Amino acid sequence: MSPFRTTAAVLGLAFAMAPSSARAEVTPPEVVERVDATLPSDAPPPLQDHVLLEFTVGTDGRAVDIHVVESAGQAWDRAAATALAQWRFKPARHEGLEVAARTRLSFSMPAAVLAQDAGVPEDAGVVEAPSPADGGQSSPEPEAPDAGGLAFTVSDAPDAGHPRHELSTTVLGRSVPRSRGASDFQLEVGELQVVPRRSAADFLKLAPGILLTNEGGEGHPEQIFLRGFDAREGQDLELTVDGVPINELGNLHGNGFADLNFLIPELVENLRVLEGPFDPRQGNFAVAGSADYQLGLPERGLTVKGGYGSFDTARVVALWGPPGESTRTFGGVQLFRTSGFGSNRGATNGKAVAQYEGQVSENTSFRVGAQGYAAHYRSAGLLRADDVVNGLTGFYDTYDARQGGDSLRAQVNFDLHGHQGKLSWDQLAFFVFRSTRILENFTGFLEDAQLPQQNPHPQRGDLIDRDTSGFTVGARGGARWRVRLFERFQDVEAGYFFRFDVVDALQTRVEAGGNVPYLREYDLSSKLSDLGAYLDVNVSPVWWLTLRGGLRAEVLTYDVLDECAAKEVRRPSTGNPPGDESCLSQRDFGKYRDPTERNSTTGVALLPRGTLLLGPVAGVTLSGSVGTGVRSVDPQYITQNLATPFASIFAWEGGAAGAWRFGAHDVSARAVLFGTRVDQDLVFNPQEGRGTLGGSTSRVGTLLAARGRGGFYDASFNVTWVRSQFDDTGLLVPYVPDVVLRADGALFHALPFFQPMGAPLLGRLGLGVTWVGRRALPYGQRSDVIFVTDVNAEVGWRWVSLGFSITNLFGAQYRLGEYNYASDFRTSGSLPTLVPVRHFSAGAPRAVMLSLAFHLGGEP
Amino acid sequence: MKRLALPLLLAGCVQTTGGRLVEFSAQASGDPAVVAGGPLSFTSPSGFGVTLTRAHLFAGALYLSQQNPQSYALEASCLQPGVYSGEVRGAVRVDALSPAPAAFPVSGNGTDAQTRSAELWLTGGDVEADVDTTVVLDVAGTATRGTDSYPFEGAFTISQNRMTPPRNPALPGSNPLCQQRIVAPIPFDAQLSEGGTLWLLIDARAWFASVDFSTLTKVSDTPLLYRFTDDSSSSAQADKALYNGLRAAVGPYRFTLAP
Repeated sequence: MSPFRTTAAVLGLAFAMAPSSARAEVTPPEVVERVDATLPSDAPPPLQDHVLLEFTVGTDGRAVDIHVVESAGQAWDRAAATALAQWRFKPARHEGLEVAARTRLSFSMPAAVLAQDAGVPEDAGVVEAPSPADGGQSSPEPEAPDAGGLAFTVSDAPDAGHPRHELSTTVLGRSVPRSRGASDFQLEVGELQVVPRRSAADFLKLAPGILLTNEGGEGHPEQIFLRGFDAREGQDLELTVDGVPINELGNLHGNGFADLNFLIPELVENLRVLEGPFDPRQGNFAVAGSADYQLGLPERGLTVKGGYGSFDTARVVALWGPPGESTRTFGGVQLFRTSGFGSNRGATNGKAVAQYEGQVSENTSFRVGAQGYAAHYRSAGLLRADDVVNGLTGFYDTYDARQGGDSLRAQVNFDLHGHQGKLSWDQLAFFVFRSTRILENFTGFLEDAQLPQQNPHPQRGDLIDRDTSGFTVGARGGARWRVRLFERFQDVEAGYFFRFDVVDALQTRVEAGGNVPYLREYDLSSKLSDLGAYLDVNVSPVWWLTLRGGLRAEVLTYDVLDECAAKEVRRPSTGNPPGDESCLSQRDFGKYRDPTERNSTTGVALLPRGTLLLGPVAGVTLSGSVGTGVRSVDPQYITQNLATPFASIFAWEGGAAGAWRFGAHDVSARAVLFGTRVDQDLVFNPQEGRGTLGGSTSRVGTLLAARGRGGFYDASFNVTWVRSQFDDTGLLVPYVPDVVLRADGALFHALPFFQPMGAPLLGRLGLGVTWVGRRALPYGQRSDVIFVTDVNAEVGWRWVSLGFSITNLFGAQYRLGEYNYASDFRTSGSLPTLVPVRHFSAGAPRAVMLSLAFHLGGEP
Repeated sequence: MKRLALPLLLAGCVQTTGGRLVEFSAQASGDPAVVAGGPLSFTSPSGFGVTLTRAHLFAGALYLSQQNPQSYALEASCLQPGVYSGEVRGAVRVDALSPAPAAFPVSGNGTDAQTRSAELWLTGGDVEADVDTTVVLDVAGTATRGTDSYPFEGAFTISQNRMTPPRNPALPGSNPLCQQRIVAPIPFDAQLSEGGTLWLLIDARAWFASVDFSTLTKVSDTPLLYRFTDDSSSSAQADKALYNGLRAAVGPYRFTLAP
């Protein structure tokens, strides 16, 4: 859905009543409440830049008898009329009495729509807010942006090229990406914000087919399963926050590792999830797709929220949005700590974010933002199921209490958006420092191979200590130009993406019982770059047919200094044996070599992508997409001067998406059939403790998704089925869920009967349900079903609200992640356990949290 | 749509990731083709007539591997994660002169991946322990050649007494003690199945195939008794030969699998 939002933020806008002779006798109606309007994302391009509505404001303050005077197309007209029908007015008055008054209102198209969607008549343009100097009658806050970046103005004077009308809108917001078909989900969080979510990553579940697991603890990124992919911690999913890339290049946990924990969930306003590589803007790691978080704070003023709950969990959040500023102007800070459920799950973190959106000129706006994040956490890791069954360990225990990690992130970003005539553009620059340390032990005491040059030693323990620190500087941008063709406006966009990363990565194995490393496995200093350029064309020869697509080129370069290139020597010097050193400085017979080795290489991938859209007819748009994608490999796998090996992806899909309105109810639904092939899939490798390259895999699946919204409810439902298998053997890809079902629901309304001090109590109830079918595991096994229900209830009164949430409502003891592999944690005698058995990470038990929030100083 | 969805759904239901986990039982005995339950008499390749009256082996554990015997590296680490297809993590003392199987006290578990070789662990517990006083071989009998008679007995442990210095001082880890305790690779081509029985068959004759009893150390004249020295530092051929026979992957040990 393309968000086209209004809020009740602008009040007291006076209507100027025509004819002017009547103005002295009539007090015009005033807007007292406006509500969000939503446009279907797959609507045909608008026929012009505005919809002019004529309507009557009744004595009850409602807009009735709405007629379209000037149409921009059926879908756009309907959306405008639907929004207007929900506005509330203070009725006009004549000689002291409330009277019905007929007036006109113009809804202008968002600039983003005009900039990106074709088919706009050539003489149409963005309606600019008329200034008093132009003879217009401005509102008290003529440029005040609202939640969606809209600013309302009042005008009763004809302005250039436009008919006389009383209200018009202009847009300050950013471009809304064009839909790439039925798998392109523009998710407005909206009232579903009330559904309990453990982290910002949980918002991904609003898109179909996504399962999140986490064996690493509160600060560890979620492992993402999407559409038949085990995307690990983002390696197969391109993640961005307002365009700033989150995937980390060169992280030893996996190239593309993405940690979303730095986000404050309350600041996530919208989310675009594009499942599949179908948009030329998608870059590296868009294997299963991409997700872009858009931050915003609709609620103006200061909000202070504190919560305390199970397992000594405490959370304090302060958010502020200056009244009168854009919803994209906000600040926020969060402090969090928990002892965690079970053993070794404590965590502490702090987050801070600030962003300001302003205007450079009438045509150009900017944003500048900064983020900071620091976390320390403990992790229980995985347990053997047989140990739990035999009573050797508890369901929520841990084998190695040293597991856990630290995470740091500091980020500054700056972007510009502008439009002038037929050209619009975006520019974004970002600077990111991040540091990640993760300690994990998947196998216990198995991996410490006795090398001949080492002194004899027993198994010293498999705890992996990975530390990656890196600095990223980069930019992205694009320019769109509209051209007239087929008597309709089409457009062409060219853009780029660039990032340069300097990364230091060290991986050691730590001896059991302490913090002393005994082996250095990786010690890499990398200079990595990713340059992407794309051309995207949007052609709509007739209103019911649109072709979108283009070509992207991706250039990836590596310059990797391996500080530990030699780890073994068959014939060491007898006079100067290397002993237990990890990184050797000799070749056979003691011939000297430096322990370092530098490898550099580059690779280029050309990635065509395209989407065909048909419709909408009766609210339904049919679509088909094909595209190719790419995932770069880990730096440790490159070889000097050999072309950078990529994982290549080919994806297709066909689907239908529709949006309808039934009275005061908005309903949207979609169904998709999809398939993806990747020539080098990532498969979890417990010995490495991460995903490593496997064979080629293909998957085919289907999804259904629906959302319904009304004056008191917001409900979302999706279900995905997928079969993912290896191309050579036809066997299923392990760990990937076949069926994922997710339902989110919110109810909100003023509570009846009880109005303390004349102010109503506003109730909100949120419900989230996740059901995941039995996942395929290695050796023909299947995991348990996951079924978890979370609820949250809030009551608000004036400036205070009280909330109570229960996660895992039914107290299910479930296995969040399940694996089959060999491990030896020395829990059952001294003989090692060397054959595969079931391992699992425990899902969180039932937890409650009570929260209290104060809202101060917002707009009335 | 139903026509399309149903086959897809069925295909998704019946397919697997391949392979399966299995549980099986394990036992060990003398090879029924060789022993009948009493003393075992045979002529060794080196020309000794041998009558074994006691032959006990302490089988500390069994591990099955997907690794081809030809792929075993001389200096391989004792544990090679990822290649094991089965394990029996329990010990049993086996009378190698009896065809009656002695059951391992624990069930074995593993996968149905193709097994290519087996490992017999001669340890009382921790294969990496510096000290292990478990007697892994206990034999007694009489060897004769011509008019010479060699009543003998022997009890072997694998501990510091078996530590051998590395061939190359620059490769101190090339011969860890754990390698002494693992008899591998014993050729065994099989596929484990749920509920099956793994049977270790011991041919005690092979232990003595190269033993020159005349080099044994006499410990008593009355009664006459020779004894195998439980130490690798012994220079006696018989001591080395029996120890090598005990650890020979081909000859003394054979595995079968009953469904």
